Amino acid sequence: MSAADRLRDALDRLVEASATERILISTAALVLSVLLGAVLVLVAGRMTTCTAGEAVYYLGVGFCYDPVVVFDRLFLGALGDPLSGGWSPDGQFSVTLRETTLLLFTGLSVALAFRAGIFNIGTQGQMVVGALATAIGVLWASSFVSGTVGTVVLIPFGVLVGATFGGLYGAVPGMLKAYADANEVITTIMLNFIATGVALYLVSGVFKDPNSAANQTVPLPEFARFPAVLFGGRQDFSLVALAFGLLAIGALYYVLEHTAFGYDVRTSGVQPEAAEYGGVDAERTVVASLALSGALGGVAGAMYVMMVLGTFQTGIPSYGFDGITVSILAGNNPLGVGVAALLFGVLKSGTTVVQFATDVPPQLVGVLRGLVILFVAMPEFFRMLAKGLPGRGSRREAVATDGGAVTGGGVADDEGGEADE
Amino acid sequence: MATAVHLDGITKRFPGVVANDDVDLEVEHGTVHALLGENGAGKTTLMNVLYGLYEPTSGTVRLDGEPRTFDSPRDAIDAGVGMIHQHFMLVDPMTVTENVTLGSEPRKWGGLAVDRAAAREAVVELADRYGFDVDPDARIEDVSVGEQQRVEILKALYRGADTLILDEPTAVLTPQEVEELFAVLAELTAQGKTIIFITHKLGEAMRAADEVSVLRDGKKVGTVDADGTTREELAELMVGREVLLDVEREPAQTGEVVAAASDVVVEDDRGVRAVDGISFEVRAGEVFGIAGVDGNGQTELVEALTGLGVPDEGEIRFRDEDVTTASRRERIEAGMAYIPEDRQERGLVMEFGLVENGLLGSQHGPELGPNGRIDWPATRDHAEAIIDEYDVRPADADADAESLSGGNQQKFIVGREFKRDPEFVVASHPTRGVDVGSIEFIHERLLELRRQGVAVLLVSSKLEEVQGLSDRMGVVYEGEFIDVVDPEETTEEELGLLMAGERPGGGGDETGATDETDPEATPSDVTGGERA
Repeated sequence: MSAADRLRDALDRLVEASATERILISTAALVLSVLLGAVLVLVAGRMTTCTAGEAVYYLGVGFCYDPVVVFDRLFLGALGDPLSGGWSPDGQFSVTLRETTLLLFTGLSVALAFRAGIFNIGTQGQMVVGALATAIGVLWASSFVSGTVGTVVLIPFGVLVGATFGGLYGAVPGMLKAYADANEVITTIMLNFIATGVALYLVSGVFKDPNSAANQTVPLPEFARFPAVLFGGRQDFSLVALAFGLLAIGALYYVLEHTAFGYDVRTSGVQPEAAEYGGVDAERTVVASLALSGALGGVAGAMYVMMVLGTFQTGIPSYGFDGITVSILAGNNPLGVGVAALLFGVLKSGTTVVQFATDVPPQLVGVLRGLVILFVAMPEFFRMLAKGLPGRGSRREAVATDGGAVTGGGVADDEGGEADE
Repeated sequence: MATAVHLDGITKRFPGVVANDDVDLEVEHGTVHALLGENGAGKTTLMNVLYGLYEPTSGTVRLDGEPRTFDSPRDAIDAGVGMIHQHFMLVDPMTVTENVTLGSEPRKWGGLAVDRAAAREAVVELADRYGFDVDPDARIEDVSVGEQQRVEILKALYRGADTLILDEPTAVLTPQEVEELFAVLAELTAQGKTIIFITHKLGEAMRAADEVSVLRDGKKVGTVDADGTTREELAELMVGREVLLDVEREPAQTGEVVAAASDVVVEDDRGVRAVDGISFEVRAGEVFGIAGVDGNGQTELVEALTGLGVPDEGEIRFRDEDVTTASRRERIEAGMAYIPEDRQERGLVMEFGLVENGLLGSQHGPELGPNGRIDWPATRDHAEAIIDEYDVRPADADADAESLSGGNQQKFIVGREFKRDPEFVVASHPTRGVDVGSIEFIHERLLELRRQGVAVLLVSSKLEEVQGLSDRMGVVYEGEFIDVVDPEETTEEELGLLMAGERPGGGGDETGATDETDPEATPSDVTGGERA
């Protein structure tokens, strides 16, 4: 058996893995990445100089950085140290949940598009558009209401505005793909630049806050921001926003699994020809799923404005791109997105904790974070890759017999069909 | 004369399938040898073995008497075997010269640069030697299909091929281009090259070849001298004298016209008329069959009928309404069921379970998908009912479609489509690749629908299937109806000739084919093919 055959076999096994197996694989990958990271921390610790007092000793050898401390800070620190007593909801745990909330929406955005067989790299742009629209819309509306009534009215209003504009911005590449056959990867990347550019133009011009040096809109009034519930709000986290997120997970799950539209989306995603045969309007499904995907990205933007910043400012962090990884990590399953977003949130917020608590250089922490993501995401990534490979499944045997030659798969198509039966 | 190619006892097995079974083939130097057979007879597999794409399970390949083993097409090319595939492998934006020399260009400056002048010179010289009409500087995307094919042949010759394999070379050509191709083949053999070409068209095999070998079901059933044979003999070899499937069939109780196509034209990507003015009517309670060799426009016709494609000209009516541009979903909802030609591409979502596959096409319907919400318990019951009634095995509604055998996949599709209570069923190759037991079952169900007054359109490349089930049948050739006949009054040989594009008209054929058609079938039903 050649190496190519073994690789093919491994990929096939990965594609056929059950849900439990996939969770086990992810967990094993997480443990492996921590072990490898620990080795890296030790090696880096040997290559640095520090005083004897700062060093830790393993098997009689001194190291400048302690991997146990690093990973303890990275994970437990991000959770606000639940094991050591004195845990406060307003501590680092709020930061983790804040990040989780935002990643949840961008992750769902990417996941929905993926399920329809569309690679939406434009979540970032849709988030920017949603954020800007929310800031402007809520500012305008906040002159009509105030106080508690204002909060009750403006929060749903702001989320709705973000969803609408993000959705419209997602519909653009959707229409380009459906009616002009434009590749969505390219159009969404380009639309990201356009969103950022137009936002900068508007916020440095007509919508600029005259009292601020930064390119930002006038800050929203306090009542137009997500209220702090249970958590103190010092870390710009609101449980209400997270509740919206959990609701979105449930809603998206329901849409995908229990509605005709979701069935159309999933069928188009795995086998477009069969979807067409089953009466699915391919064009409409593409536009609708990208619009819905964009709406989720837009809501992420609304959350960012109304929960975190309280204004729209240029230079929105790359939650949209992180959403791609979150979605892949979750196997594009809405329920998985919740878990993946939490893991990602922990890593993001844990990074700052590690930097406060240790001398480990931030670059090394970045590497550790990258390792975790890489390891956990890779099996799912290869799984998606293997699914898309030609000659998988029913044609597998026929392809294997010609030694996996690339030309073989292609030209043997006509008679490869017979071999299926 | 020495034997240029000698295949000795070639057997090629794929899991579960014997594509070639102990095939011997000898081809003399400087001759054209036609490999004739129906689709799926194993022609291309055999040639892929010769071309090094497949390793034979057993048997030997000899070139000029020497046993050879090829690990890849590269080896075959080095040994002087070139293959021209049905789908050309040319780089569209590049010129003829660049395509011909691609990968083995003449070099200059110590191998650092391509010697374009020498390359062009070599191509011109080759083209002159064999009398090819090609422009070495034209871009592939700008030249005709016939010229593209000549470029493919030049490519093989440039690499030193002595034996050329052509896979269905005429499939994409216009009649004039076919003539040009045959002239090219004659010139090549005159200069000592050896040609093997794969075809399923009787006429071509006889016209262009010196010898014809016929494959059927992976076995070689005979090699005959092209001059010493008749079309009838070849048709018989090709189709075989297998027992007609004995189907109990009472006379049709036909009702009103349910579906009709008039002057339908469908063009393919290249602008060739895949369907060229076909008209027919299907009445309630009858089976209208369309017979023909694959690739004569059946796929395009069926897609236009079922809403997967839009005809370029003509009209399609269903239950007295013009549905020419109606969407697939509208047609499903109006009562059109469709058993697709390719069950693994179209008919089933392979990675979905049977429950979800039972929903395909009904997801927006009132029973399973009321108000846009899917009623999963009802959907499960529906799938289980199909499994039960159509004897799908394993009887597990949660099994993925891809885990089922071809026959069971097909039974599930048939069950799903028939359970729609359709008024019109389009069955495209309903028993292709299905085991004998399931074939019988599917045929019985089709006839049961006919009894219930459903209009059925049956498209198949299996003659005995169309003949055995249809009340009337149209024979399609190059996008037109060659003739519409009464299947009971027509012999397999006559049908074989019609399928090969022989228009009725010679001798007693005409009376047999057209005059004795079912009186129900008025001439207006049959406006399709122009008659010779």
